[in-house]
Amino acid sequence: MTHEQQDSLVSVEETRRVEQFLLREARLLDGECWDAWLHGLSEAIHYWMPGIENRRREDKSGPYRLEHMAFFDDGMRELKRRVARFKQPSAWAENPPTRNVHLISNVEVYAGPAPGEYLAYSCFINVRSRGLDEHHQIAGRREDVLRLEADGLKLLKRKILIPNAMLLCKNINTFL
Amino acid sequence: MSRVLLCQRDELAPGELKKVAHREGDAICVYNLGGTFYATTDMCTHATASLAEGDLEDDLITCPVHWGQFHVPSGKAVTFPCERHLRTYKVIVTDREVFADIALEADEALAAANSPV
Amino acid sequence: MDNNKHIPLRTIESTPALGNLDRICDMEEGRLSGKVFWDPAIYEQELEKIFARCWLFVAHESQLPKSGDYLTTSMGEDEVLVVRQKDASIKVFLNACPHRGNKVCFAEAGNARGFICNYHGWSFGADGGRLMGMHESKCYEESQFDKSRHGLREARVASYKGLVFATFASDAPTLEEYLGPMTWYMDVMLDMDEGGSEFLGGCIRSTIECNWKIAAENFVGDILHGGWTHDSAAKAMLGGPVANVGELPESYSVNWNGHGYEFATDVVGNAATLGEKDINKYLHVLRPKVADRLGEFRSRLIGAISSFTVFPNFSFLPGQNTVRIWQPRGPHKIELFTWVIVNKNAPQEIKDKWRRGAMMTFSPTGVFEMDDGENWEYCTKSSRGVVTRYQDLYVGLGMHTRLENSELPGNVFKGQLNECNARAFYQRWKDLLQAPTWADVPDRNGTLR
Repeated sequence: MTHEQQDSLVSVEETRRVEQFLLREARLLDGECWDAWLHGLSEAIHYWMPGIENRRREDKSGPYRLEHMAFFDDGMRELKRRVARFKQPSAWAENPPTRNVHLISNVEVYAGPAPGEYLAYSCFINVRSRGLDEHHQIAGRREDVLRLEADGLKLLKRKILIPNAMLLCKNINTFL
Repeated sequence: MSRVLLCQRDELAPGELKKVAHREGDAICVYNLGGTFYATTDMCTHATASLAEGDLEDDLITCPVHWGQFHVPSGKAVTFPCERHLRTYKVIVTDREVFADIALEADEALAAANSPV
Repeated sequence: MDNNKHIPLRTIESTPALGNLDRICDMEEGRLSGKVFWDPAIYEQELEKIFARCWLFVAHESQLPKSGDYLTTSMGEDEVLVVRQKDASIKVFLNACPHRGNKVCFAEAGNARGFICNYHGWSFGADGGRLMGMHESKCYEESQFDKSRHGLREARVASYKGLVFATFASDAPTLEEYLGPMTWYMDVMLDMDEGGSEFLGGCIRSTIECNWKIAAENFVGDILHGGWTHDSAAKAMLGGPVANVGELPESYSVNWNGHGYEFATDVVGNAATLGEKDINKYLHVLRPKVADRLGEFRSRLIGAISSFTVFPNFSFLPGQNTVRIWQPRGPHKIELFTWVIVNKNAPQEIKDKWRRGAMMTFSPTGVFEMDDGENWEYCTKSSRGVVTRYQDLYVGLGMHTRLENSELPGNVFKGQLNECNARAFYQRWKDLLQAPTWADVPDRNGTLR
């Protein structure tokens, strides 16, 4: 996420539209509005959160790779399956519900790789609470490609990078 | 006599190196870099280590202990933690043998020392 | 005269066995106290008498293809380096400098000439772990320091079909003896194909606030929880509930020295949960070849409903192909390291489907693991309460179901809805905590109920 895209700024209106998309998405996730959230994704979505490896600077492998294990490496089918579990009455670990807050910041919007596409960088903090004393916080950066489709702006690609090489909690029972 | 026999010409293939102990002073490391022979002191200038046990890649020798590097032709220390240059020796090659003149530095080292850079 | 003077510092000081273990862990009756999941004194004994003595999984050979390739992991709470040597063997060293004890390698994997301690510049060769030299080496020479006595501490290492195990116990049995007849079953996962197996790249690590035994026990022989705990996941992945395991025509639980495997003979029951038709097809096409290789019976296990734990903390699921280690981090916490294992000769697209499938099911974002982690944390946390801790936990399912005349290897029990493997696991756990040396560990095979 180091590309310089300063020469491809888009209009204030377009920037605002993308920002609103990201903020609304966070609100939908906090409200468990799974179907509305899925509706904001392109059928061609690639939703990717690679596992982070702790490697030395001189190691050319880098901290993550597409062909390595991931937390998410999903298309629409996988995301719908995850949502299907959340909705089951027998999703025991979701009842009582996990309470979520998704904070979104550091939004930058540029023209995307193809016409009608936007490249958006953002940061998030996700706070989850369960029961009385469970409090899990994950922060990270996202790199999104959004696309104008027939029924509105859709998320086409998302790359999520957290700084942690080990997740300091038992699961990620939300989307980031 | 300042001349020390290092090896036979056909003893070291290109990319090979060896340590030579001798009575006149510090052990010498002799290198064959693509057919040209060079000689430096064998002891790393940082810590106790024999450079002959290190890895020779192109014209850099990497010390086996802390992985500092020297430029073999000039003896220059190029990579941390090596900061003091290696003593080099002028190499004399005869029909069959390779010698070091331990009274003289390698030409490359002298050139580097005189370089304004 | 101080007798301790003659015992090398490296010998672990043996602490006396706890006196109440027979009361809180009675596997003759199938009764267990939650104290075993909570008590810090028991945990300290586990580190000493189980993790410092048993053969522990450290790597798969495929993770270290070249000389100088290394990875870091831990054996119990002892951090170790696993390094491919110039002679192609694999060595395991403590990842701790023998000068002040600092960690010598901070990366989780890579390739290196060696490892240099950040503190005083002690440098260790990747090949052999010898002390190569130090910063300010002249001052050591003046002290007549003998470098040859201060290399990285080396463990005993042995492999079984790609899986590398290590132990620091000089009196431990060989790995072959340690695994015993369980290797016959491990082959189903490791050796179903002539090319053998390999790990895919990467490792997903997460933290669960549970006692390590709860996780290990779950995989040693608890399919009982599957239909209930994982109903939501099965419906999400398959569109229907988990198969009614109790109604499967032929299934078994087998154990040996605390290792355990519960399995059906339905070929692809586990694999089906990945929701990838191509994986089922791959296994069905491969199966006749597996029958030639391992026999008809084992060919029905290659992706069947099943789970496996090698005592104490190494587990895998055939079919989902997830391989994991439950690293103990205090009595109430584990670090979970997971990998994906595949047949080396499988087509790349099948390997990718397994990588995604394991992620979708058994990983921190996996739809199955989410409900496991929740259960395991609260099984542990509830033992905070003194009264709860002394509740009489029932581990008696399947008593008297041992198959005396089975031709299958190991201690064989009827059916996989059976807690015999959990009993064997806790019995082995207790035997190790009570035995002063490996020679004192009783052989329970053939006598367990």
